[in-house]
Amino acid sequence: MGGITGLLMALAVAGGLLAVSLKNVLHAIFGLALTLLAVAGLFAVLGSPFVATMQVLIYVGGITVAMVFAVMLSTVVQKHATESPWRRAGAAVVALGFAVGVGMVIAAAGLPDGPAPELVADAWTVRQIGTSLLGDYNVVFEVLSVVLLLAIIGAIVISRHEGEEKQS
Amino acid sequence: MSHANLAVATLLAPLIAFAVALIGFRKKHDIAAAIAILGGFVSLVGSIWLLLDPAPTAELVTAPWFQVGGFKLEFGALLDGRTLLMGAVVGLITFCILIYSLGYMKDDPGKGRFFAFLGLFEWSMLSFAYAPNLLQGFIFWELVGLASFLLIGFWYHKPSAVAAAKKAFIMTRIGDVGMFVGLILLFGDVHTLDILEIGSIFGAPGLPEGLSAGRVELLAGLLFLGVMGKSAQFPLHTWLPDAMEGPTPVSALLHSATMVAAGVFLFARFHELFMDAHGLMTLVLAIAVFTAILSSTMAMVANDMKKILAFSSISQLGFMIMGLAAGSLFAGLFHLMTHALFKALLFMTAGAYIHHYGTNDIVAIGRAGGRKMRVTTLGLFAGGFALAGVPIFAGFWSKEVILGALHHDGYMVFLVGAYIAAFMTAYYTFRMIFLVVLPNANSDAIVEEPAGAQHGDHGHAHHGPDKAPLPMRLPIGLLSIGAVIAGLPFFGDAVAGLLGRPEEAHHAEISEMILPVAIVLAGVALAWLDFGAKRAPQRGLVAWFPPLERTLKNRWYIDAFYRRTVIRLTNAFAGLMYGAETRGFDGAGDAIAHGTMKVGVGTAKSHTGRLPIFIGTAVAILAIVSLSVALF
Amino acid sequence: MNLESFLLLALILFSLGLYAVMSRRNMIAILIGIELMLNAASLNFMAFNRFLPVEDPTVGQIFVLFIIGLAAAEVAIALSIILIVYRQRKRIDVDDITELKG
Repeated sequence: MGGITGLLMALAVAGGLLAVSLKNVLHAIFGLALTLLAVAGLFAVLGSPFVATMQVLIYVGGITVAMVFAVMLSTVVQKHATESPWRRAGAAVVALGFAVGVGMVIAAAGLPDGPAPELVADAWTVRQIGTSLLGDYNVVFEVLSVVLLLAIIGAIVISRHEGEEKQS
Repeated sequence: MSHANLAVATLLAPLIAFAVALIGFRKKHDIAAAIAILGGFVSLVGSIWLLLDPAPTAELVTAPWFQVGGFKLEFGALLDGRTLLMGAVVGLITFCILIYSLGYMKDDPGKGRFFAFLGLFEWSMLSFAYAPNLLQGFIFWELVGLASFLLIGFWYHKPSAVAAAKKAFIMTRIGDVGMFVGLILLFGDVHTLDILEIGSIFGAPGLPEGLSAGRVELLAGLLFLGVMGKSAQFPLHTWLPDAMEGPTPVSALLHSATMVAAGVFLFARFHELFMDAHGLMTLVLAIAVFTAILSSTMAMVANDMKKILAFSSISQLGFMIMGLAAGSLFAGLFHLMTHALFKALLFMTAGAYIHHYGTNDIVAIGRAGGRKMRVTTLGLFAGGFALAGVPIFAGFWSKEVILGALHHDGYMVFLVGAYIAAFMTAYYTFRMIFLVVLPNANSDAIVEEPAGAQHGDHGHAHHGPDKAPLPMRLPIGLLSIGAVIAGLPFFGDAVAGLLGRPEEAHHAEISEMILPVAIVLAGVALAWLDFGAKRAPQRGLVAWFPPLERTLKNRWYIDAFYRRTVIRLTNAFAGLMYGAETRGFDGAGDAIAHGTMKVGVGTAKSHTGRLPIFIGTAVAILAIVSLSVALF
Repeated sequence: MNLESFLLLALILFSLGLYAVMSRRNMIAILIGIELMLNAASLNFMAFNRFLPVEDPTVGQIFVLFIIGLAAAEVAIALSIILIVYRQRKRIDVDDITELKG
């Protein structure tokens, strides 16, 4: 258990590093996909295979693919102006500072140490999640569906409208 | 006819006449005039009838106006001695002037409007005089001011008339502010607006319950401010001479029975209250005596006939207030009555001369042959003798009562002042008479007045027989009789009885009369030496001292002083307020708006639109906040 | 493996995402960084949900589901915007998009 978790964590970090450092955006997306898969594995480790499945389906199967399509549609020639080192340095300083700061907060927070408590089998089933979603959180659920609908309509409207404008 | 119906008819007739004439017949001059005269006639009959048939006690004829909680307000008429007397005087004088205006305003393009305004004036004045409560009184007090504004500025195409109307309105308003505050305080103290009740509250011996002496002095002082404004007492007197810009009938109306009398009447109405303010009364006496002397000196050098009469009005108002302040209600109101008669008469004669010769200048009138207008000149004699206080004539008796009132109370200084004013009154009155009636070759030595250029009301002379038109001669004749007989002791006793103060009708012994008569005769004699005698220099005593003459002709430079100080200060203050408004308030608003915009523009510069910098800033702030939370 | 290690992993992923957002000029690369940060947040929810005694253990999972849904919506919009930008300028450099500057 511990070994698998450590491996997944290492994979996640490695994918993240690849995603932020690779010049080629397409490669970076694959790095991202690696991280997403590793995180899905971690979700499963954390006792929620359902969410892990969703992560794989939506993120890796949907979002990553959409991004790949976008890359293919937009950057026909994989030519990128490289970022200046100053810019990277500045970003690195801010990100490091953030990491150190929040890390200190985490260290100082006095979190409970030790392994996770025993799983309560009932509480982690898909049935439980479904009941919760359509029970206590059904309003949020509905709002989210409206948001998704709007996002789809918005995406269509934005791209089509602009396209027509360009043609005219 | 019951008193109630009479009172209602008296009060409403001028209003109806005003409304009908102004709305329906403004352009049909003769119909408007006829309606106004009809209204005036109804008021005359009603007010005289009421006067001759007084009820034994004060009557109230009222209709409810509105009711707020337990507080009821009524409109209507209070019929007691003071209002009956005042109403009759107003009715009589206004009617005479309405008739007179038929002649004077014959060809004026605004004749219909003029008669309508006269109706408005009469309505306001009667409603003020008969007012049963403070609120009605104040409303109509202001309406009197409005009507006089309209009438003084009647010839609105003349800038000087407009300026004079504005001046009259603003000067009286200064007093009215004080008076209004006084009325509010008074209401707060006595919790009633009813004039009779207020009279009885203050009429009781000693001070009313719950009011300190200082409080009463304050109330009286504030109310007296209103009196000062309306009745043109120093230092608010300067509007009155300028008000001569109106047509002469207006001057006759304003300065005899209505506008200026309103102030004196207010004093008389609240006489009980004023009498409780002992300290203030001394001050009021001082003001009145000073005003009387001051305006008399100005009258001594004026050449404009209407201005002379205007100055004399101020000084006679001073006499009335002296009488009232000295404690004699009868003295003040009796002089108000006789003065209304003879001053209206004098203005009418002045108007007749002006109408005929086209000039206001007494020297010019005299040289043009003023005495040839016989009825008018007889009127001038009657009115002038009454004004000067020649024995038997009306003014003599009423002034005698005032002097007597001063005598009794032992106000020695004021008595002497009053005698001086009386002496000067006789002098300038006879100066005017002699210059009109007995001009000689020396008269053109009199220089023109610097202030207030001489101009006839009409600007052109009417040629024809040397007599005034019949509508002008009739009221002159009628009032001449009044000016001769109205002061006789018989009338005095009747008035005193009506006012409920028979003990004040002071019958002087012959020995007591010697001094006043001697003083009047001395004034007349001096005027004779200066102006009347065959080879008289006709320059006047004052002309020997050119600086003094200049000062007097410039009205002691009081107007100039006001222009320099009060008006300049007011303008400066207005400028300051304007600055505060435009630069202070508006400027602050603008500054806030501009500041916000500048801040916006300034911070917008830092918005490079670059995502990394946005996020870096956000994260940096987040890091600082979380660090400070974690570490401290 | 305790709670702290999961939190630190999430922190690393988040910082990497932050670095990507701030340093990269390609808009799709920035989108990648955003996805990393969102995943870090999801991981935190799941970890807290698992390690802390919560009353209803479905809450954390539902939050993660919502995040995934919102991420999908966000990506849809972002990608359409990126496509427009590309059509207009023939490149998707974030430094070009400075219309919001003051």
